[in-house]
Amino acid sequence: MAQIVLFHYFPRNSILHKMDGRVKLICMILFSVAISLVQSIPSFIILTASLILITLLAARLPLITLLKDMKYFSFLILIILLVNSFVIPGRPIPGFPLPGVTVEGVMTGLIASWRLVLIIMVCAVMTGTTSLITLKNVVEWYLRPIPLVPETRIATMINLTFVFIPVIFDTVSEMLSAQKARCVEGRRNPLKRIMFIAFPLLVQTFRRTEELILAMEARCYSDDRTRAVFATTAKDWLILAFTVLFLAFILFYSF
Amino acid sequence: MSKPNMPIILETQNLTHVFPDGTVAIKDINLQIHAGEFVIVAGANGSGKTVLLRHLNGLIRPTKGKVLLEGEPISKNIIAARKQIGLIFQDSDSQIVGQTVAEDVAFGPENLRLPPEEVNRRVKTYLEVVGLSKLAQQSPHVLSGGEKRKLAVAGVLAMQPKIIMFDEPFTGLDYPGVVQVLRQLVSLHQSGHTIILVTHELEKVLAHADRLIIIYRGKIVEDGTPEEIIGRSEQYGVRMPLGENERVDAMTWLK
Amino acid sequence: MGESTALNLRLTVFAALFTALIIIGGYLSIPLGAVPIALADFFVMLAGLFLGKKWGLASAALYVFLGALGLPVYAGGKAGLAVLFGPTGGFLFGYMALAFVVGLIASQKKPSVLRNLTALIAGNILLYAFGIPWLKTVLNLSWEAALTAGLTPFIPGAFIKIIVAAAIAQALLPRFNKSIADNAEQPEDEEQ
Ligand SMILES: Nc1ncnc2c1ncn2[C@@H]1O[C@H](COP(=O)(O)OP(=O)(O)OP(=O)(O)O)[C@@H](O)[C@H]1O
Ligand SMILES: [Mg+2]
Repeated sequence: MAQIVLFHYFPRNSILHKMDGRVKLICMILFSVAISLVQSIPSFIILTASLILITLLAARLPLITLLKDMKYFSFLILIILLVNSFVIPGRPIPGFPLPGVTVEGVMTGLIASWRLVLIIMVCAVMTGTTSLITLKNVVEWYLRPIPLVPETRIATMINLTFVFIPVIFDTVSEMLSAQKARCVEGRRNPLKRIMFIAFPLLVQTFRRTEELILAMEARCYSDDRTRAVFATTAKDWLILAFTVLFLAFILFYSF
Repeated sequence: MSKPNMPIILETQNLTHVFPDGTVAIKDINLQIHAGEFVIVAGANGSGKTVLLRHLNGLIRPTKGKVLLEGEPISKNIIAARKQIGLIFQDSDSQIVGQTVAEDVAFGPENLRLPPEEVNRRVKTYLEVVGLSKLAQQSPHVLSGGEKRKLAVAGVLAMQPKIIMFDEPFTGLDYPGVVQVLRQLVSLHQSGHTIILVTHELEKVLAHADRLIIIYRGKIVEDGTPEEIIGRSEQYGVRMPLGENERVDAMTWLK
Repeated sequence: MGESTALNLRLTVFAALFTALIIIGGYLSIPLGAVPIALADFFVMLAGLFLGKKWGLASAALYVFLGALGLPVYAGGKAGLAVLFGPTGGFLFGYMALAFVVGLIASQKKPSVLRNLTALIAGNILLYAFGIPWLKTVLNLSWEAALTAGLTPFIPGAFIKIIVAAAIAQALLPRFNKSIADNAEQPEDEEQ
């Protein structure tokens, strides 16, 4: 349950779902870079339109759901807009009741928050089309050539983190309902409230973790393990080439 | 029914474990298990069954004594020993290491650094064996208790051990669940595996066993064929199944 | 497989557990006046206390890294570089400093309340030392405004979290350290 709430991977059979995760990550980074570089409003519009098309057609993701998830960011977006409107010096908006708001400020704020929305969309497309396991394998693959970085360990940690999340989630909700039955809710003292959540949670998850470690040892855990296989098809290269050309075109057009 | 003509595959000598708090969990266990035997270890709660199993594949270190696998101390090459001796834990929840059912089964073979094709082949084979093929891409967290137990079995089978140890495999299973696990046990035994099964629910499985061992307060108090021992089990806190005149070969939930 | 491999595996798994706890902590909050107490930084403190500087840092760093990859792990389901380099990003980097410093000062054979409290307070000072100037710079605020937005409302919560973290460490650390040490020893050759 918890996984469904927390991580928005949508199992589909789209072009992006079938793409090699390594190439997809590069495309995502390229998009993020382009988004942070573009200047002109028309390039923004083209980028936004293309991202919407990618979400709907290439990734077959539910755009409305993704937009709803943006509510988590609405506060951040609002802050960026407000702060910029007041702080950037420039001409006051004629007829605007609040003093201190400038035309330049509002424009800068709008552009900054637009950028933010686009970057969030790119992330959503990436996580929506890539399972956590693939993502873990991609991370491991990119870390491999870096010296002194224990990439297998990191991949194992990522994997275990996502194994633990639903466990903790369930432990917490079980605990909270058990405590509700004993009227802990009525307690005002926040010190005690945190104690009542954290203490049993740690005791239980520690015990569980001990068992998990034994189970991993029993199944011969080793850092020297079979590596994930990736397959890059001609389609992946084509998508990458297209992304590069498209973004280069937009950036060129933007300046 | 017992197989003294087969070579000894697993042996313990004066195996003793004292916990730091002074609890003597097992004391002077001398045990010889022959290849292909089906051994049931029974005993009351806290009698030391789990501790004994964990010694047999080197998960905990004896205070005194040793464990020999095919004549060699397992401490010489603990990884090789664990590869030969699979253990299915009492609590199947805490041995989940994968984010999906298939990943979890792959964990062991990947630790053995088998080539990817072989890993995939084993995952497919053993998910089929336990009947979880349809759930391969599910999160293990959402499986039922019986399905989790089957997943644990598949995870161990995928390492193709010679000896398979089960710690209380029937706990929390309904009738069909017990029958399925039982079928697996019997077919594993028939295919030549050595089976060590810890349980106190003798009526479910005793008919299939070659040998019954009773542990009482950390010591082996009875060791022999089920027919010899069954009449004396009750004094050690192991409920004798189905009345005194019942025959041992009726003690099974299979058909 | 030497002793250190087994010990490493144990700490790796526990570090992953703490990363997961930090993530869940970002979704849990306890009401306290107008500003609810979020629990992410509370579990970061515990990661430092229980895992020590190296693995505490690893656990907090993994948390930041997962969010940077775009997974919605930051408090309230946020994710991505936009947050990491946004107004509150300093606090995320501060988490790493917090875990490290708590582990650095507290890591000791014998846990002492005074030492742990010192470690927690020093770590929290560092957390806000990362968070507030960052907030000020990104949002172009005055010092006064940055402090009002980023520090004052969180002080009571921070104190409560520090006290509870120290109490929990006192109760659970001895057992935790012992189990880590006991189980970390691998059976090695008794023969020869
Ligand atoms: N880590 C530990 N520290 C101290 N004592 C322990 C520890 N683990 C187990 N024991 C004790 O060792 C004894 C044997 O425990 P064990 O788990 O092997 O029992 P069991 O036969 O498997 O019981 P059950 O049927 O309940 O599973 C018990 O008295 C138990 O309390
Ligand atoms: Mg037991």
